[in-house]
Amino acid sequence: MFEARLLKSGQLKKILEAIKELLKEATFDCSDSGIQLQAMDDAHVSLVSMYLKSTGFDKFRCDRNLSMGINLESMVKIMKCCSNDDIMTIKAQDNADTLTIMFETSNQEKMSDYEMKLMNLDQEHLGIPETNYSCVIKMPSTEFARICRDLSQFGESVIIACTKDGVKFSTSGDIGSANVKLSQSASIDKEEEGVSIEMQQAVCLTFACRYLNLFCKAAPLSPQVILSMSGDVPLVVEYQIEELGFIRYYLAPKIEEDD
Amino acid sequence: MFNKKRPNSSDKQGSFSKKFKVEDDEQSMFENDLAIMEEMDKELDDSPDLLGEGPDQEDSSALWSRPAIKEINPVAESLAFQQLTIDNYIGEPIKGMSGAQTGLVPITRMFGITMDGNSVCCNVHGYSPYFYTNAPEGFGPEHCKEFKTRLNAIVLSDMRGNQNRVQEPVLMVEIVKKINLYGYHGEELEKYLKITMALPKLVPAAKRLLEKETVLPAFSGHNYRMFETNVDYDMRFMVDLKIVGCSWIELPAGTYTIRDSKSRLKGQSRCQFEVDVGWEKLIAHAPEGEWSKVAPFRILSFDIECAGRKGIFPEADKDPVIQIANMVQIENKRLIRNVFTLNTCAPIVGSQVISCEKENNMLEKWAAFVRECDPDIITGYNINNFDLPYLLNRAKHLHTKNFNFLGRIKDIQSVIREQVIQSKQMGRRENKSINIDGRVPFDLYLVLVRDYKLRSYSLNSVSYHFLQEQKEDVHHSIITDLQNGTPQTRRRLAVYCLKDAFLPLKLLDKLMCLINYMEMARVTGVPLGSLLTGGQQAKVVSQLLRLAQEKNYIMPTMAGGMQDEQFEGATVIEPIKGYYADPIATLDFTSLYPSIMMAHNLCYTTLLTQKTINLLNLSESDYTKTPSGSYFLSKTIRKGLLPEILENLLSARKKAKTDLKSETDPFKIKVLDGRQLALKISANSVYGFTGAQVGKLPCLEISTSVTSYGRMMIERTKQEVEQKYCIANGYEHDAIVIYGDTDSVMVKFGVKSIEKAMEMGREAAEYVTTKFINPIKLDFEKVYFPYLLINKKRYAGLYFTRPDKYDKMDCKGLETVRRDNSPLVSNMINTCLQKLLIDRDPDGAVAYAKEVISDLLCNRIDISQLVITKELTKNDYTAKQAHVELSIKMKKRDPGNAPKLGDRIPYILITGTKGTPAYQRAEDPIFVLENNIPIDFNYYLENQLSKPLVRIFSPILGDKAESVLLKGDHTRKKAMVTSKVSALSAFTKKKEVCLGCKSVLPTNEEKNALCKYCLPKQGELYYQERVKVNDLQEKFCRLWTECQRCQGSLHEEVICTSRDCPIFYLRKKIQIDLTAQVKTMDRFGNPNNK
Repeated sequence: MFEARLLKSGQLKKILEAIKELLKEATFDCSDSGIQLQAMDDAHVSLVSMYLKSTGFDKFRCDRNLSMGINLESMVKIMKCCSNDDIMTIKAQDNADTLTIMFETSNQEKMSDYEMKLMNLDQEHLGIPETNYSCVIKMPSTEFARICRDLSQFGESVIIACTKDGVKFSTSGDIGSANVKLSQSASIDKEEEGVSIEMQQAVCLTFACRYLNLFCKAAPLSPQVILSMSGDVPLVVEYQIEELGFIRYYLAPKIEEDD
Repeated sequence: MFNKKRPNSSDKQGSFSKKFKVEDDEQSMFENDLAIMEEMDKELDDSPDLLGEGPDQEDSSALWSRPAIKEINPVAESLAFQQLTIDNYIGEPIKGMSGAQTGLVPITRMFGITMDGNSVCCNVHGYSPYFYTNAPEGFGPEHCKEFKTRLNAIVLSDMRGNQNRVQEPVLMVEIVKKINLYGYHGEELEKYLKITMALPKLVPAAKRLLEKETVLPAFSGHNYRMFETNVDYDMRFMVDLKIVGCSWIELPAGTYTIRDSKSRLKGQSRCQFEVDVGWEKLIAHAPEGEWSKVAPFRILSFDIECAGRKGIFPEADKDPVIQIANMVQIENKRLIRNVFTLNTCAPIVGSQVISCEKENNMLEKWAAFVRECDPDIITGYNINNFDLPYLLNRAKHLHTKNFNFLGRIKDIQSVIREQVIQSKQMGRRENKSINIDGRVPFDLYLVLVRDYKLRSYSLNSVSYHFLQEQKEDVHHSIITDLQNGTPQTRRRLAVYCLKDAFLPLKLLDKLMCLINYMEMARVTGVPLGSLLTGGQQAKVVSQLLRLAQEKNYIMPTMAGGMQDEQFEGATVIEPIKGYYADPIATLDFTSLYPSIMMAHNLCYTTLLTQKTINLLNLSESDYTKTPSGSYFLSKTIRKGLLPEILENLLSARKKAKTDLKSETDPFKIKVLDGRQLALKISANSVYGFTGAQVGKLPCLEISTSVTSYGRMMIERTKQEVEQKYCIANGYEHDAIVIYGDTDSVMVKFGVKSIEKAMEMGREAAEYVTTKFINPIKLDFEKVYFPYLLINKKRYAGLYFTRPDKYDKMDCKGLETVRRDNSPLVSNMINTCLQKLLIDRDPDGAVAYAKEVISDLLCNRIDISQLVITKELTKNDYTAKQAHVELSIKMKKRDPGNAPKLGDRIPYILITGTKGTPAYQRAEDPIFVLENNIPIDFNYYLENQLSKPLVRIFSPILGDKAESVLLKGDHTRKKAMVTSKVSALSAFTKKKEVCLGCKSVLPTNEEKNALCKYCLPKQGELYYQERVKVNDLQEKFCRLWTECQRCQGSLHEEVICTSRDCPIFYLRKKIQIDLTAQVKTMDRFGNPNNK
């Protein structure tokens, strides 16, 4: 028996919004520590890793480890049926082939439940080993989204260069080139609004704009985004979900010979 | 599942071995065949076994060379031979022969074989090219001389250099009475000038000068219109002498001279007889009766192997030729079999091995062999574009002596020329043309590409398709390793090479290509060689000229140029779609277009204009107005040429068809079917010829009239049938024409039994036929029951010609026959249709379709089923296409292995990011296999399977077809593959999951096979996995032996990498799966340790 109760269904809605562009189907691995999702996109260029810890839920019960194959498109359809403040409960039997999702309004006047057919996804489970990154950049998630969107108008790939002075995003394309430079914020009133850089070594890597833009769909989940980079390893774009867990995107750097 | 997917399962092989009584199972089938051939040779002649006698060439040459000639006396005996090729050269005139006596003259040379198998080279003298032009008003015989002198002067002054020392370019000008073939201008003969020129190349020059310069000032205003200036010299010769392709030529006694060592003229050829004759003297026999026989000609088939470098396709200036295998077939019986090898080679039973130390030496010996065995026809697989050019280039690079003298003329070297053919039938092709004078190059590859629509044209898949025989496909990079090995490995290569030389012969035999092509050459009158290289037009021109000459017509030279006139094509009656459980009768017009042309007398010679009608005062009954508004003379006044040509072709076809009906041998049925098809194509190409706007003689009036009549007739038939067969006329049901296309209509009479439908169909066909002019004939051909009408030109049904049993399942325009789909689609649609139509089991069909879809999503479909092939026709497509992009990608990866223009490229669609266009996602099937790249199953489901499936099921399931088939529960299980070469794969680490419930194992339990919840079931799960391993192992072993059998030895490793072989893909996949499965098993640990 698996059961998880979430006070704000809006959170899960946002999570789905943040991954549905990258993945069509995904396996939710449930254990007593929480719900985990890890999958590569179809082109095998990026990897999504999501972790929702059990303590973040209002109620969480998972008798045995469970893998649920979910068609995200269908799940999004169900999530559209609730409003953000609804309380949500996800339930599944052990070895079940369906998943039940229940919504109740905060005033308990309306209850609705939906059943969704699960998929049997035969998939390898992948992980990316933890590493120490040379640069860790923290910045407002809206700012990052803005930069990615702006630069994608100019070119297909973005060069992210992190130095002591700050971080530079640059691109060039048919119409010209674009550069955006952010410096470390001087005053830190609110941590989320500033830019902070922790750096051991300068790094300069190239990434595909398309993917960065897809990652930015997670911006509503968190006011702050953390970019971690090291030479020749994937970039990590991390969004902390308040009290619940995190969502991380890994993106392989572009190698020059690809056109 | 396993057996189903192996097209040549081992039991078939078993039956083969039984047939050949193979005691030693380990010897290859082919080697056995070779040995058997030798046995047969021994029976054939009493002479001691000469094979393998030793390196001394003299010993074996008795077997190689042609039978010795019998002395013949040219004064008393005649000489008859079957000519195979005709060409011409410019040479010194010979005294005593007709024609010009000064300067150089054109001499026609015919090569052929006598009934005794001796080769003949016949020089025909005295024939000069000519053309016609209209005579100016008032031009009399008295002007001829002056005209000739003037034209002579003009042509001479125009010639630069005059290498051929022509003193008199214009030989003769005479006035002749002829009729212009184009359009009817009354019965009166008109005056034309026949201008005979000294050399073929002077004809266009004279034409140009006549149009430009004033020849006779007295007639300066005259507009010279040209006739037959664009007729090729050889064709002119054949038409005038009534020689058709592959016909017999007889030189009566006393008319010819033989060149030999004693004669004044020295022989120029390597033929056994070289004779000279005047063109008026020789007799050309029409291929009928006694003269339809075929001389015993020799066919050489050969194949070469080159030692390439890794990753680079062999290049003639770098990579040596290491083996040349030859097979010569004489009189359909005896074969000369030998293989020339570089370095030593272990002996092969049944074949002579000629080992050479130096490559140069080997090439010399081979060329000498070709000259000695003197083949009439040279064949092989893709020799025209690979083997022959390679040998020639290699010999040039090595400065091999006398290599490129492969033809029958002593002093002419064989040279490679690039040739581009553009034809509607074939599209654009780049070919190499190599002259081997006196021999016919007959590349089997070109024949197959022209005549058969196949998925792949590699020799392996072709021989599997026609002979059910596989061959190894050794990648060229392995060949070098085999060559550098021991005499044994070289022997292996030699056997492989011999097989490659043998298969084309076998295929030629099986498909009766030569017989069919010879038949075609005789019917249409063009030489054998040009059938392969030329288009359809030459055939029609040849027939038209022959008949025109008989009837005193001449053909105008039309100025080439594009006309952008489009004309309406055939009509299609809007189909009433659906699944018909009642019998549907099909009524066909037999050879619609040809019979329209015959019925309405449509021809160049009967074409009228309003002006001519007025001028000649023709009455209404003398001509007909076609639905498209052109006028044609009626048959009673003048019969057209085209109708006559068509009559000849169609009566020949009729004969072939009647023979077909009485024939029982399934193979001969195929041949006769091929012949009648060839005749049908020829008959239909007459219509095409009149519509070809860049052709020799386009006439849109004819072609538009033909199609307009066709449209009218289909409409009329519908009307007549529906009017007659209705309840009002006392029939049980109203007949409905549910569909009609070009030359057929489908009628639903409403009756329930097949017999009744057939009866009514026959009756209706006869009834409607009476409404049309003879020879237009509506035939009842078949009944479809049941019938699935999907759309225009798309339908399927069970085809009945007899009421008791169906003949076959007939599908038109469905994915079963199209080549631009993966085999998965055609196999699946085929099975579904079978279940629907034959078994009448719609539920079974749906269940089957679901099962396949589910297999597809779970990655259980064999990869060879997903391969799509497309031909790479040109490099500069404007729209991006998958196969073109892939060929560029493959070129980057391995330039040696990259596909070339004209190749069919196999590819598989792989997954990509959302929005990546399909053309960027094509990938080489082997690369996909080796790197475990995820295949885009959704693409296959949505872009390949869904439409055809919904199409065939929607008449049965209605609107819910799509949701039942494509969205049901069976689509909820999916396998997701992890690629080995993606951008991220280098960084990710696989996490182990429980083998029982697929949940991720906690970090400390990673080494275990199961999670703690599944542990109680360990025994059962272990057993399951074990079974999987055993299963895979067995499969792999069976596949491996299958491949070993195919390669012919169970002792050696398999080296075949054939991309057309389903077993190859399967073997690769199982190999990968097995490795993974064994690793999985290891996780259970060693039970002894616990």
